[in-house]
Amino acid sequence: MPTYEELRAAAAAVWSAVEKPQRPLFVVSMNTSSIAAGAQATFDALRKLADSGSGFDVMQTGDAGLAWAEPVVEVRRPGGQHVLYGHVTAGKAEAFAQAAASGIAKEHAIGVIAGEATDGATRVSVPMLADIDWAKPQVRWLMYNCGVIDPDNIDHYIARGGYSHYMAASRMDRDALINVVKGSTLRGHSGSFFSTGMKWSFLKDAKAEPKYLVCNADEGDPGAWVNRVVMESDPHMLLEGMLIGAYATGATHGWIYIRDEYPLAIERVNHALQACRDRGIFGDNALGTGVHFDAEVIRGAGAYVCGDETGLISSVNDERGMPRIKPPFPAQSGVLGKPTNVNNVETYASVTTLLRVTPDTFSTVGTEMNRGTKMFTVSGACEKSGCIEVPFGTTVADVLTLSGGIANGRAFKALQQGGPLSGLLPASIAADLLLEPEPFRPLGAGMGGGGLIFVDETSCVINLNAMFTWFLEDESCGRCTTCRGGNQRMLEILERVSRGEAHPDDPERIKSLAASMQYSNCFHGTLSPVIINNTMTHFRAEYDAHALEHRCPAQVCDGLIRYRITKQSPAVAEAAAICPTRAIVQNGGSWAIDDAACIRCNACREAAPNDIVVEDKFRDIVPLRVIERADVARAGG
Amino acid sequence: MLDNEATLEIQHLIRDFKPADGDLLGALHAVQHHYGYVPKIAMKVVARQLRLSEAKVYGAATFYSEFRLTPPPATLIGWCSGPTCRMKGGGNVRKVLEAELGVGMGENTGDNKLGLHMAQCNGTCEYAAQVWVDGKVVGPLSALDTVKLVRDLKAKA
Repeated sequence: MPTYEELRAAAAAVWSAVEKPQRPLFVVSMNTSSIAAGAQATFDALRKLADSGSGFDVMQTGDAGLAWAEPVVEVRRPGGQHVLYGHVTAGKAEAFAQAAASGIAKEHAIGVIAGEATDGATRVSVPMLADIDWAKPQVRWLMYNCGVIDPDNIDHYIARGGYSHYMAASRMDRDALINVVKGSTLRGHSGSFFSTGMKWSFLKDAKAEPKYLVCNADEGDPGAWVNRVVMESDPHMLLEGMLIGAYATGATHGWIYIRDEYPLAIERVNHALQACRDRGIFGDNALGTGVHFDAEVIRGAGAYVCGDETGLISSVNDERGMPRIKPPFPAQSGVLGKPTNVNNVETYASVTTLLRVTPDTFSTVGTEMNRGTKMFTVSGACEKSGCIEVPFGTTVADVLTLSGGIANGRAFKALQQGGPLSGLLPASIAADLLLEPEPFRPLGAGMGGGGLIFVDETSCVINLNAMFTWFLEDESCGRCTTCRGGNQRMLEILERVSRGEAHPDDPERIKSLAASMQYSNCFHGTLSPVIINNTMTHFRAEYDAHALEHRCPAQVCDGLIRYRITKQSPAVAEAAAICPTRAIVQNGGSWAIDDAACIRCNACREAAPNDIVVEDKFRDIVPLRVIERADVARAGG
Repeated sequence: MLDNEATLEIQHLIRDFKPADGDLLGALHAVQHHYGYVPKIAMKVVARQLRLSEAKVYGAATFYSEFRLTPPPATLIGWCSGPTCRMKGGGNVRKVLEAELGVGMGENTGDNKLGLHMAQCNGTCEYAAQVWVDGKVVGPLSALDTVKLVRDLKAKA
């Protein structure tokens, strides 16, 4: 097998050809988001042009994080000008290629990555990429290679320093290495924020053999896809982190547990693993360092609780993915009953990053408690969705600004961060929060693993709660009555509130259910009531509008709205033809809505926006009398 | 296909999977990849190969939401249940899908041509609200777009 130096020398030649190409090189982002936007067709169209002698070459890259601009293409021209372009759909590919190969294709330009913003001799008003709002607050450490290299080409990774950090680590004393990780403040980026160095020392000190590493890539929080970006763009950064972990802890085998929804990540990580084996990085005597480590991918099959490390271990152990009671901790008894360490994708990649940027530099970014950077995905009501990387301690308001603010001039109502177990905070509090775990805790919330979902005024918090509680009820493994039954009862309450049929003492029941759910075994149960607790604290007026006035102010909850035709018009006839339940009926020559048949899908209003309205104040407001406990019991409540 | 013929075929599909090696999900995926679902007979074959009880295999196959125990429809419409989709009218999209197809989530039409599946967020939220038609993201969809999409799919089916 070649030495590291030989690998590096061979890789440098491969990389140089795509970093400083002899003729224009079109680097197309190929990732799950871009493919949804048609990037495969763009890639094929550019490839066809290249193959027919258009004088340029085409290469794939992963994900630079700009979901809002996909399909994204970077053009690297001889002379060092690199320009990033967006919205390059297949239909526009030919005109774009012509313009971008010889100059700057202005209507697609996002920013200049390197070189001058000139089109031949003429200056063009395209900003430097680093100066645009989206990029300004970002520090691209974990995303160093994202959108830069071909994720399927290990030479690109190695040429940019890849696996040299493992080489350096392997020359260190194992305790000293673990102390570097401990001293960096690095904690699990999945949302648990437990010290990574501590976890590694537990595994190193475990007596039994063999020892195992598991990578949790079961990123199940809806609205979070940071791990997907790493795996689709730079799988080796994760693998190098695992290899460093294997050396530090003495682990000999690893499992990378990737969720079923990420087929492209599964493909790229498998490809990267094979490339490592082929070059003697994984397997026996890694790069001549005497370490033996190999890993394999397990494809998940749709179970949110497998995001809990003991649930994930159960799943690897051929069981249903049910979390179990600790102790024993995974470092004592994990996969196949052997000592095991579980970290997520971003955490392993953070170890590689820590050594790459050096611990000294690492400590200059972030906050006192949390050095370094964190990746987030932004989505929801903001103008731009995508994946970003910012220093710990960046404010939510700054992230909203880089995301283009709330779209359509609407008001920022709430932040839903870190998945359904982390909370829902009103804009007034959320905007000033620093993005690190500590500020969220006194608010009865968490920061979570990286999802940031911005909510605007058109969303109803009761509806959001019902949605998340439905998810948590559906995904409960069912072991603990407090979680299984607690979420069932919570969902029943929220559904009746959203129908305007709340009991007056439902707020008390919510409180009592939330308290009893604290006796669940795992975080799925204990954190399930976080969002509803946040809601009762910060959105009580909206709860009361539903419960006491039978009104949904955002006009979302089905039971509290109805549709009405305000004007007879040809558009209404069209709406009648569109209605999936034929609820728009002719009544003595004029159209009317049969309320019993109407499913409140809004299709008719989209067809006849000027002639059909939604109403939310139509039910008589009956002041609720205080129901005695005995009445509630009789009514089966 | 006769049961023993199917048994042999499944044995062949999962021949590389070993007991106590973290292979159960892999074996079930291999079966589903081949047949489009996990047939009943596969529970027995997988159990024997991995030295697990059939109950354990069945328990796992039903625990994970992506394993189907019945044949998939010719065209599968996955409805994204994620939060951004919901905030952008995904609830309305679901109501239209169910009403237009006359089936509930997780069900197929009587002729097995179209079916609905509850999908989990894959982070392509830029295209919310969305559905996945045979795995391909289609969005952003309004309720009106969805009516047209489903009628189109029905006409083609």
